[in-house]
Amino acid sequence: MSGTSYGWLVLAFPLVGTLAIAFGWLGGLRGRTAGWIASGAIFGAFLSAIGALIQLQDQPEESRSLVDSAWTYVATGDVKVDLAILVDPLSVFMCLVVSGVSFLIHVYSVAYMGGDRGYTRFFAYLNFFVFSMLLLVLASNFVLLIVGWAFVGAASYLLISFWYRRETATRAGIKAFVINVIGDVGLVVAAFLLLDQTGALDYAGVFAQADHVFGHNDGTLVAACLLILVGAFAKSAQLPLHTWLPDAMEGPTPVSALIHAATMVTAGVYLIARTHPLFELAPAAADVGAIIGTATLVFAATVAVAVTDLKRTIAYSTISQIGYMVLGVSVFAYGAGMFHLMTHAFFKALLFMGAGSVISAMGGIQDMDRMGGFRKAMPFTFAAFTAGALALAAFPFTSGFFSKDEILAFTLERGGWYVVLAIAGYAGAALTAFYAFRMVFRVFYGNPVEEARELEQGHIAHHPPSNPATGEPEDTDVGFPAEEHHIAEREWPMRAAMGPLAVLALLAGVVQVPGVSDVIEKFLEPTFADSHFHDTAPSDSSEWVGLLLGGLISVAGIAAAYHAYVRRRGITLQLRDRFPRVHAFLVNKWYFDELFEALFVRPVATAGGFGRAVIETRFVQGFIVGGATGVVRVGSSLARAVQTGYLRAYALLLLLGVALLILYFLLASS
Amino acid sequence: MDITWFLVLSAFLFAIGAAGVLTRRNPLVVLLCLELMLNAGNLALVAFSRMHGGQAGQVFALIVMVIAACEVVIGLGIIVAMYRNRLPIDIDEMSELRG
Amino acid sequence: MTIHLSIILFLPLATGLLGAFLPRGLARWAVLAGTVAVLAYTVALLADFDGGGGLQYVTDDEWIPELGIRYQLGIDGLNLFMVALTAIAWVPCTLVAAFRQHDRPKLFFFNLALAETAVLGAFLAQDLALFIVFFDLMLVPFYFMIGGWGTGDRVRATTKFMIYTLAGSLLMLAAAVALGVLSTPDGGEISFSLADLQQRSVSEGTQQWMVLLFALAFFVKAPLFPLHGWVPETYRSSPIVTIALLSGVLSKVGVYGFLRIVLPVMPEGAQHWQELFIIVAVFSILYGSILAFSQDNLRLVLAYSSIAQLGFIVLGIFALEDKGAQGAVFQMLNHGLVVVPLFLIVGVIAERARGSESLSELGGMAFRAPVLAALFLIITFATLAMPGSGNFVGELLVLFGTFEDKLVYGLVASVGVVLAAVYMIRVFQGTMHNRPGPDVEPGEIDGLHLAAIAPLVAVIVALGVYPHFVVHRTEKATTAAIQEARGIGQEVANR
Repeated sequence: MSGTSYGWLVLAFPLVGTLAIAFGWLGGLRGRTAGWIASGAIFGAFLSAIGALIQLQDQPEESRSLVDSAWTYVATGDVKVDLAILVDPLSVFMCLVVSGVSFLIHVYSVAYMGGDRGYTRFFAYLNFFVFSMLLLVLASNFVLLIVGWAFVGAASYLLISFWYRRETATRAGIKAFVINVIGDVGLVVAAFLLLDQTGALDYAGVFAQADHVFGHNDGTLVAACLLILVGAFAKSAQLPLHTWLPDAMEGPTPVSALIHAATMVTAGVYLIARTHPLFELAPAAADVGAIIGTATLVFAATVAVAVTDLKRTIAYSTISQIGYMVLGVSVFAYGAGMFHLMTHAFFKALLFMGAGSVISAMGGIQDMDRMGGFRKAMPFTFAAFTAGALALAAFPFTSGFFSKDEILAFTLERGGWYVVLAIAGYAGAALTAFYAFRMVFRVFYGNPVEEARELEQGHIAHHPPSNPATGEPEDTDVGFPAEEHHIAEREWPMRAAMGPLAVLALLAGVVQVPGVSDVIEKFLEPTFADSHFHDTAPSDSSEWVGLLLGGLISVAGIAAAYHAYVRRRGITLQLRDRFPRVHAFLVNKWYFDELFEALFVRPVATAGGFGRAVIETRFVQGFIVGGATGVVRVGSSLARAVQTGYLRAYALLLLLGVALLILYFLLASS
Repeated sequence: MDITWFLVLSAFLFAIGAAGVLTRRNPLVVLLCLELMLNAGNLALVAFSRMHGGQAGQVFALIVMVIAACEVVIGLGIIVAMYRNRLPIDIDEMSELRG
Repeated sequence: MTIHLSIILFLPLATGLLGAFLPRGLARWAVLAGTVAVLAYTVALLADFDGGGGLQYVTDDEWIPELGIRYQLGIDGLNLFMVALTAIAWVPCTLVAAFRQHDRPKLFFFNLALAETAVLGAFLAQDLALFIVFFDLMLVPFYFMIGGWGTGDRVRATTKFMIYTLAGSLLMLAAAVALGVLSTPDGGEISFSLADLQQRSVSEGTQQWMVLLFALAFFVKAPLFPLHGWVPETYRSSPIVTIALLSGVLSKVGVYGFLRIVLPVMPEGAQHWQELFIIVAVFSILYGSILAFSQDNLRLVLAYSSIAQLGFIVLGIFALEDKGAQGAVFQMLNHGLVVVPLFLIVGVIAERARGSESLSELGGMAFRAPVLAALFLIITFATLAMPGSGNFVGELLVLFGTFEDKLVYGLVASVGVVLAAVYMIRVFQGTMHNRPGPDVEPGEIDGLHLAAIAPLVAVIVALGVYPHFVVHRTEKATTAAIQEARGIGQEVANR
């Protein structure tokens, strides 16, 4: 089988899985079967991706870019779009990461979502998401990319508002969806600009033409790249389009792990890497990407230090980490960016899984203020979570250590004002280490809370079901979220998923150690071979200096967290009381939500009210309708006046009329 | 005889009929006056026919008589229907068509 | 295979008349059988149609030779899918009506059948006078259906509807007569055949006011801002089946008229008003979207969303660019295909909420009605032009076409895409998600509506997977329709 056949198989498995589950449900499919079908489908996709990988490695390096078209999607005028996939190292790499992590999260969900009345629906959506994500990475042209792009947005919407009886969830869903649509529109406009200038919509055609039609920092190209960035930032939750991601935590925890940490939100990074020939021609746009990426990583890290909701903390951490990746690919450190994408998928999925386990143990409560001392009650979760936190904090020799610092080393290597970005990156790294272990210490250390003590006795806490965000009592007749809770310590599928991820989070760095190995870089090389920055990688020694610096910062951050949350508990409270304004600013996420509310939501709502109250009634109904009916009414009232209903009046009119006619002819003839 | 006298008589008859239609309220009388107007027309037609020596005018007059007969039948039918329904026999009361 | 368009055209009317002589209970089945037969015939037509050819299956007979009016029917890429849409839309609507409409059934189904004939006639006609005959004939059955079987203040609604559309029609009639007369060459015979009119020419100044009169009629029918005054009341008080057809199919006749008549016959005039029409379209998109967002009544949300969608179609047409017109033609089909099931779903929802159709009183239906929710979800996504649906391809082409020469208008129109996401998701959530409303007794979709809606959803999905099926067949005729006006536009730009 050829590489593209495997590519089609990668797509087919999750699609068939979705349909099988959906129609299976109609046919009476109940219980955990759906979960296993879904996991099996994703595992099939993973195996197919490995098949594609093997096929691809068999090819000579320069022909490792296979395109296969199923049929013409739409062709008219100069628009020619095929339903075609592109199998090259980058897409295969993404397929492996996506299907691999997805498979583990599916397995985790089999147990975690058990008992939820929306179980089957959940897996149908989840499989559909994986299908969409794989379509996104395998697409060989911009239109198909946009299709996958919007599909993942739709799947994300469905899964965010999965527990749709909660109004917070539905509101978060609509927010995520709308921001994603903004991104879609950006991509559509970008696709048009590229089509207009290069006459093509498939990657190969666009990139081949781009060199000829665009000069350095050509205005149109910069505009197109910025629009691509709009799409990328909407999906990857970068400033200022990030506000949906923290709210997206309303979805079930596996969803947060899969979509809002490991896969979908990194699509923006993939997109920039995919369109790198354009960004290299328009470095101005790339610089914008780098600056926004850096700003985002710092901003999100400061918020993550302040918020107390466990999942939202991880969400802000995700935003921050994606900021690193965006910075990486924007300074043309593709290998490093994709490497960080991979390690981040591992450790962030792991962190969310651990958080899910803890939240289950808390009976659905997500607030860290009410957690503590789970170390003894949940040893496995503690170990796994800590592994994830170490990788997130870039503790020396974990996976995050190598990947993050490679990005920063590369940025430093660019010199000039990029050094500022690198310094901001290191500052962010310090904050990252701090908040990562803030979570660990606040959740697992300290005095055991009641739930932790009960768990030590063997009872999982059960609170009356309520919405963790508002405290509103849950609508129990529907049964989602499920009444019972599942923790890793009791469910082997959850452990089976978390174990490998923990190992990967700690050890996956070995594939790319400066001076020792460069598996990722080598593998992706054919895709990025045309990059002008291909040879400007920092030397091994300077990378090791960066690593050393990063390691020190990481250890310092962890130590600070230990100091603040374990040794001298309460110091943070004093700080909060000392600087209430700063704290409020951070806890309210820099007031971005309020800003958008005032800038966009309220004007549209006001315009709608104005339209209804004034334009519709005064102008349309009053002036136009009133004018038209007014004319008719006046005319008809005139006509009515003649209709007296008296026979003799009609007769008189008749006579008069005839007499007048005769008179006319008489006069005319004489 | 000069045709003028026939036409004058015809005009008088027509005017009397028209005045009757316009002023009387009893539908029977209105119907009679209509007949008068029609016959005034007939008279003029026959007179012209005689003057021109053709037959067409007389044929027209016959047709008018047939139509007059039909009209009387319908008119009387309506009046009888009104009488049966105990409606007032007064055409001013029948002004349903007022707009 | 020979295909006689007259059979398609008059089959519904024939079954309607047949139904009038059948016993009360049977009329509906006769009409339903007629619509199914028309659909079957249309499928054969689709299979047989030659995408590369011009006008096909032409029927051409004398009708009123003194006035140069001919009975001329034909099918090309422009109306192929409009005929298909009509045939597809009428089946589920008649099916639902057959089980739900019990009051004076003979008359209702006769009107339904007459309406199908009239709409098909308007789409098939290749003679301007014939087009106008059918265009106005459409009003008659809809007048009776809304006035006779509507709810609420239906008298007011029908009066407004009639005055509005008749005023438009009369203006168009005047323009059409003037066009026929003025375009007659010295010593030549008057003719209303579109093919002849296209050959003859009228001075540019005359074309300008004629186009304006035609546009008034078509904008009222579409409807576009600010000529949509009849919309709220009519949508509110029509029977659900009628409004589904009115919004899904009838609204397309107007915009179809631009492509069939205005652009080929009066290219200079159309080009003259291009800017104005684009502004009207863009304004309709924004205005319709914002108003749809702020309505509470489901029907009105859909009504205003239709205004926005039709704005996209008109925008695509008057961008005077191949891609845009292509997208507009495709979008005409897509919009019809999503609006019909949307209204049927509104009917389903109202049946489960004691007749309530206002968003503030609904909600939470998905749990007891997952199949309904799934169908509704797919249609919702298609309506907001989710990539992967036919609507996306349509809107993409419209936007691409508009960007080409009118970048700014295109960008403003893109805002409409975002707003569409807001108001459609709002409708979906407001009915299916959140807590159940006070009067909601959620229940799964019944077999009848499932049978009516599911095939439509299948068509929507199929078009999303293989849009080229349509685009391939419409391309040639669409390009030809706008070719002349486009050429004039380019000349003007070059000068």
